Amino acid sequence: MPATAFPEVAPDISHAADSASEHEPGYLVICWDDPVNLMDYVTHVFQTVFGWERKKAEKHMLEVHKNGKSVLTRESLEKAEFYVHQLQKYTLNATLERDGK
Amino acid sequence: MKFLGHDGGNFLIEFATEEKLLLLHLLSMYPLVPAAHHRLTKDKKFPRREENQQLLDDALKAQRQQNQQEVLALINEPGRFTDKENASQAAFSRTDLEWLLQVVNDVRIGCWLALGSPGYEPKKKIAPNSEGARRAMFMEIAGAFEMFFLGIINGDVPPELPE
Repeated sequence: MPATAFPEVAPDISHAADSASEHEPGYLVICWDDPVNLMDYVTHVFQTVFGWERKKAEKHMLEVHKNGKSVLTRESLEKAEFYVHQLQKYTLNATLERDGK
Repeated sequence: MKFLGHDGGNFLIEFATEEKLLLLHLLSMYPLVPAAHHRLTKDKKFPRREENQQLLDDALKAQRQQNQQEVLALINEPGRFTDKENASQAAFSRTDLEWLLQVVNDVRIGCWLALGSPGYEPKKKIAPNSEGARRAMFMEIAGAFEMFFLGIINGDVPPELPE
């Protein structure tokens, strides 16, 4: 899990993730388009949160911009919640959704 | 604003007096995004949806409190800015710039929400009154600070000589 450059305050979800399915990578972290977050800012947040190269971050940013959303990663519930929290603390419009739902 | 170069591991920035006042005013507006703005999921049948939403809300609240402490420290810390005749200089670590980006973007998004989220609905217009103008102005100013901070983080802004 890539570290960001400052102390983290992550959700305490240990008691929530108590079923086997929640440990499976069946949760999608999705970023949704909005007309206010700047494109360079979104790219920067993707780089910081996921540790991606700029090119990959820009690809997902453009996907959000053109298609209305981008699936950023597929994770277990715990990891997906962590990433959603990281994205939302930068005020991005991000949610987690069950894969195949 | 001018990026003067690196000072140790820090980014040395010079602000014109008016720019410094604008930045401090923006920071004093934080937080503007309502706590209930962020949703964990769009799926209404998500398992333990409310419980998991509460955990996210708690984490974001703690993060906001941490950012608020950083804001107060920056505004009140003696010697943080070195004031010159028409400008001030300050050194920011990469960590500082990350929370500054979060704080300034919160103000930008908060202004946008207060304006009624223009852009989502094509017919939505910004209210032509002084409050609407003030929010629109701070939204744009916040964006300008963001672009400057991103530029120096990414190395897109070359160092300049001070005033």
